Amino acid sequence: MTQDSRTNSIVINGLNDSAFKVRLNRNLEIIQSVLANPTTVIGLVIVILMLMMALLAPVITEPNMPDPYQMPRDWQAARSAPLTPGHVLGTTNRGGDVYYGVVWGARTSLKLSLIVVCLTVVLGVTIGSIAGIVGGKVDEVLMRIVDVFLSIPELIFALAIAAILGPSFTNIILALVVVFWVKYARIMRAQVIRIKQRDYVDAARIMGDSKIQIYLKDILPNSFSPVMVQATLDMGNIVLVGATLSFIGLSEAGIAEWGVLVSEGQAGISAGRWWASTFPGLMVFLWALAFNLVGDGLRDVLDPRTETKR
Amino acid sequence: MSSADKTILSVKNVKKHFPIKEGVFQKVVGQVHAVDGVNFDIKEGETVGLVGESGCGKTTIGRCVAGLEALTEGNIYFDLPSDKIALLEDSEKQDDKKVSAEQIEEIGNSYDIGKIEGDLFNHYRRNCQMVFQDSFASLSPRQLVSDIVSRPLRVHNVCPENEVIPRTINLLEQVGLGAQHLYRFPHQFSGGQRQRISIARALALDPKLIVLDEPTSALDVSVQAQILNLLHDLQKKRGLAYLFITHNLSVIRHMADKIVVMYLGKVVEAGNTEDIFANPQHPYTKALLAASPDLQSEVTSGMAALDGAIPDPARPPQGCSFRTRCPVAQPECGWEVDDVVRRLEHKDSIFNFLKEVDQSDAFNAKFTFETEAAANQLMAAMKSDDIPDAMKKMVSKLNCDAEHVTVSFKPAKTVPLIACGNGSSARCVLVNK
Ligand SMILES: Nc1ncnc2c1ncn2[C@@H]1O[C@H](COP(=O)(O)OP(=O)(O)O)[C@@H](O)[C@H]1O
Ligand SMILES: [Mg+2]
Repeated sequence: MTQDSRTNSIVINGLNDSAFKVRLNRNLEIIQSVLANPTTVIGLVIVILMLMMALLAPVITEPNMPDPYQMPRDWQAARSAPLTPGHVLGTTNRGGDVYYGVVWGARTSLKLSLIVVCLTVVLGVTIGSIAGIVGGKVDEVLMRIVDVFLSIPELIFALAIAAILGPSFTNIILALVVVFWVKYARIMRAQVIRIKQRDYVDAARIMGDSKIQIYLKDILPNSFSPVMVQATLDMGNIVLVGATLSFIGLSEAGIAEWGVLVSEGQAGISAGRWWASTFPGLMVFLWALAFNLVGDGLRDVLDPRTETKR
Repeated sequence: MSSADKTILSVKNVKKHFPIKEGVFQKVVGQVHAVDGVNFDIKEGETVGLVGESGCGKTTIGRCVAGLEALTEGNIYFDLPSDKIALLEDSEKQDDKKVSAEQIEEIGNSYDIGKIEGDLFNHYRRNCQMVFQDSFASLSPRQLVSDIVSRPLRVHNVCPENEVIPRTINLLEQVGLGAQHLYRFPHQFSGGQRQRISIARALALDPKLIVLDEPTSALDVSVQAQILNLLHDLQKKRGLAYLFITHNLSVIRHMADKIVVMYLGKVVEAGNTEDIFANPQHPYTKALLAASPDLQSEVTSGMAALDGAIPDPARPPQGCSFRTRCPVAQPECGWEVDDVVRRLEHKDSIFNFLKEVDQSDAFNAKFTFETEAAANQLMAAMKSDDIPDAMKKMVSKLNCDAEHVTVSFKPAKTVPLIACGNGSSARCVLVNK
C-alpha cells in the first residue's frame, strides 16, 4: 500500500465523521426550530411525561399479577375518595384503583397507538405509493376506495366495524387500522406524484439507477414529512377514538384502559364520586391534546406550505 | 479533424405529443404537439445550440435525447457508424428500395435509444447525461453532495468502494469545488455552486454528450459567465459534445458551433452559428435577433421585434406555423379558417353573436350567427385592413347567406426545410426567392 492511498483513507475517515456531524447538525436545526414554538414545547413536555408514565408503569405501581393490564380489585376499599391511603386517586365502585388505571392506561394507550400507527403507516404508504407510481387504472381504483373510506366519519366508521367484530381490545385495534390507513394512502399518493416529477428523480433515471433504488433513495425520503406529521397527530386521535369505543363497551371490561375506566366510574358521578371518571377522562384529553400540539408544531417546520387542518 | 467529425447523436423526425385530458374520466381531448418532426445531428466534441421562445419544445427534445420520454414518432440514434448513417439516408429516399426493412430494424435494435436494452442501453446511459435549469430541483434536498456526486459511480460500479470518495473529490475539483464541500446539503450552496454540483454529477460517468437545459438561465449574469467558461473548459479538456438549450441568443453565440432554431415544435432554421448570426434567413430568426438588444446587426435592425401570442401548440397552424406573427407573410404560407378567428377574435360585435361554426376541415367553414348584422360585419371585416393582403389572396370563397357566412381558403402545403447554401437551411417560402 502506498503512502498516498493511506493518506486517502485517513482523509476519508475524517470526512465521514463530518458527514455524520452535518446530518446531526441538520437534525438539531430542525429540532431547534420545532422547539422555538412554545405551544409545541408544552405539548412535547406532556408527551414526554405520558411516555415516561407508560414506560415506567411497572416501577411506579406494583404490577397486578398475572396480567398487569387488568385492573387490580380491592373490594374492601371500593368507592374511596382520592387521597385515601393506598389509593391516591381513589377507587371505582368496583374497587379498581384509579391511580393504577391512569398509569397502566397510559401504557395501554401507547401500545394501542403505536401498533395502530405502525400498521396504518405501512399499509397507507404502500398503497399510496403504488397508486402514485403505477398510476392509471390502478390509481383510480385505489383512490375510489380511499374516497369511500374518507367519506364516512372516523368515529362512526370505527364504531361500526368494532361492533361488527365484537367487543375485544384486538378488535378495537383492527377497527382503528381499517379506519386510519386511508389518510396515509392519500397523503403518500399526492407526495409521490409531486416528487416523482422532480428533476432529481429524472437525474437518477438518467444515471441509470433502478426503480426500486429511486423509490428508496429519492421518492420515499422526500415524501415522508407529511406522513410523519399525520402519524404524530394520529398518535393522539387513535387514543381518543379508541377510548370512545372502550367507553361504549366495545373493549374488554376490567382492563386498565382510560375509556373503560371512564365508563366504570360513570355510575358514581350522580352520587358525587367524580374522581373515577374525571382522572382517566383528563388523561385522554391531555394525551390527544399533547400529540396534536406536537403534530402541528412539526407540520409548521417540516411542511410549511400546507395550511393548518381545517 | 476526422475523428471530431464523427456523428454521435442523430435525431430523426422526432415527434413528441402530450395528450390533453379533461373531465372526471380523463378523456383525451387533444394533443399538445410539443415536438413535431425535428431532425439534427450532433458530432463528437461540438456544441449544438437549441434556441426558441419558451414553450417551443426545447426542454422536451432535451428530455427525449436523455431518454426520459418515449417518442411519439421518430428515432434517436446514438453513436451510429458512418456506413449505417449512409444506409439510413438511402432509405429516406423513397425511390430507393435497396435498403431492406430488416436492415433498418437491425440498426434500430442496436443504436436507437428507444429500442436498445441491457448493456447497450447502459452504455448509452453512461454516455449521455443532463444538467437541468433549476439547480434546486435537480439535487435531492436530503442528500449530501458526496452522495449526489458519487451516486453514478456506485450505480455503474465504476470503481471499487474505497476509490469512490477520492474520485468524487476529483470531480468536485474539476468543477471548481473541493473536498471541503463533500459533506454539505445542496441548500447550503449558492445557485451557481449548485449548478457546478450538477455538472460534477453529469461528468461522473465520463459521458460523450451532455444535455444542458438552460443551465445558466436562473443565475446572475456574473455567475452565468463563470459557469459558461467552466463548460467551455470542460468541453476542451474532455472532448464533450453539448446539446445546449437556451432562449438567450448571446449565450448561444458564445457557446454553440451549430444552431437549431425552433418554433412551435418545429425546426425553422438550422446552420452554423456564424452563418445564422451573419445572415439569418427565417423571419423568426431575424425577429429573435432583433429582440436581443446586444446582438442587433444591419440585417435585422429594420425588423420589428416579435409581437402577438404564440399559437396554441395543441392546434398548431397549417402551412408555416410562424405565419400568424410573421411581418412578411406571403399568400402561400398556408392560410386557414383559424386565422379568421385569430385576427378577429377581439371584435365583440361579431363574436358575441356567433352561434355555431361548422368546420369541415382547416380550410373550409360555415359560421352561423344569431343576427344578420353580425354576419354582415364579418363580411366587412374580412375585406378590411384587419386581414392582411396575403391572406385575402388565398380566400377562394366568401359568401353571406342571411346569418350564415361561408369561408374557404385555397389549401396549402406544409413548408419544408429548404437548404439555403453554406449548409444552413430554413423553413420559409421566401428562402431562395
Ligand atoms: N409532460 C407534459 N405534459 C403535457 N404538456 C407538456 C409536457 N411537457 C411539456 N408540455 C408542453 O409542451 C410544450 C413545450 O414545452 P417545453 O418543451 O417545456 O418548451 P420549452 O422548454 O421550449 O419552454 C409546451 O406547450 C408545454 O406546455
Ligand atoms: Mg424549457
